[in-house]
Amino acid sequence: MTEVQAGERPDVAVLRIEGRLTMVNAPALRASVGEAVEAGRTTVVIDLAACTFMDSSGLGAIVGGLKAARQAGGDLRIARLTPQVRTVLELTNLDRVLRPHDTVEAALDGG
Amino acid sequence: MAADLGYRLTTPAVPQSLDLVHELLESAWAGHPDVAVEDRMRFEIALTEVAGNIMEHAAGGEVLDLTLLVRVLEPRLEARFEDSGPQAGVDLESATLPDDLAESGRGLALARRAVEEVAYWREGATNHWRIVRVRSPR
Repeated sequence: MTEVQAGERPDVAVLRIEGRLTMVNAPALRASVGEAVEAGRTTVVIDLAACTFMDSSGLGAIVGGLKAARQAGGDLRIARLTPQVRTVLELTNLDRVLRPHDTVEAALDGG
Repeated sequence: MAADLGYRLTTPAVPQSLDLVHELLESAWAGHPDVAVEDRMRFEIALTEVAGNIMEHAAGGEVLDLTLLVRVLEPRLEARFEDSGPQAGVDLESATLPDDLAESGRGLALARRAVEEVAYWREGATNHWRIVRVRSPR
């Protein structure tokens, strides 16, 4: 998992997931989002372009991050979903809660 | 590899073994490139959730092994898990999705939605799981 700062905005954190996001590394994602939010970067974008596989634990960590960001007055958005991640989102009906964005920029602009 | 021999794995039922489940499937797809991408994806989703469930239930006590057998057949993809952990105590029929903002509890509902069959039964001291994905017409 790599964190990338987005431009000049100090309130933004972009987290790029590389490889699988499963019960093995879901706690690390939870921790990364928590650290970002605590540091005041309450608009969090999860970039999933390089995420090859996500399970329900990974999805749970993203939902946890969404709640943490919202509690801090911010938001969490997801961008550049692979077909597998999109399928998991749809099968769990969470595409209603986590609207997919085509680009990181669109995620930053959109709600 | 002949389809009926299948792909087999025995490994400790700990989360770190999940990568081996994915690798086993990669071997299966390499041997059967004709399996549709959608079928592979949904089968892998269900397998990962069931494996995760077994690993969670096995946690806490001594480390136990789980065995996985994957078979790529013409009409369907089939996986069987066996482990000697405590009885899983799952009710697949009532495995429904939790609230939108729940952070856990989606695994088995997701598995059931991804494939045509997820079955669990206990036989003696062994937990059995069977996962079936009916292959898409070519």
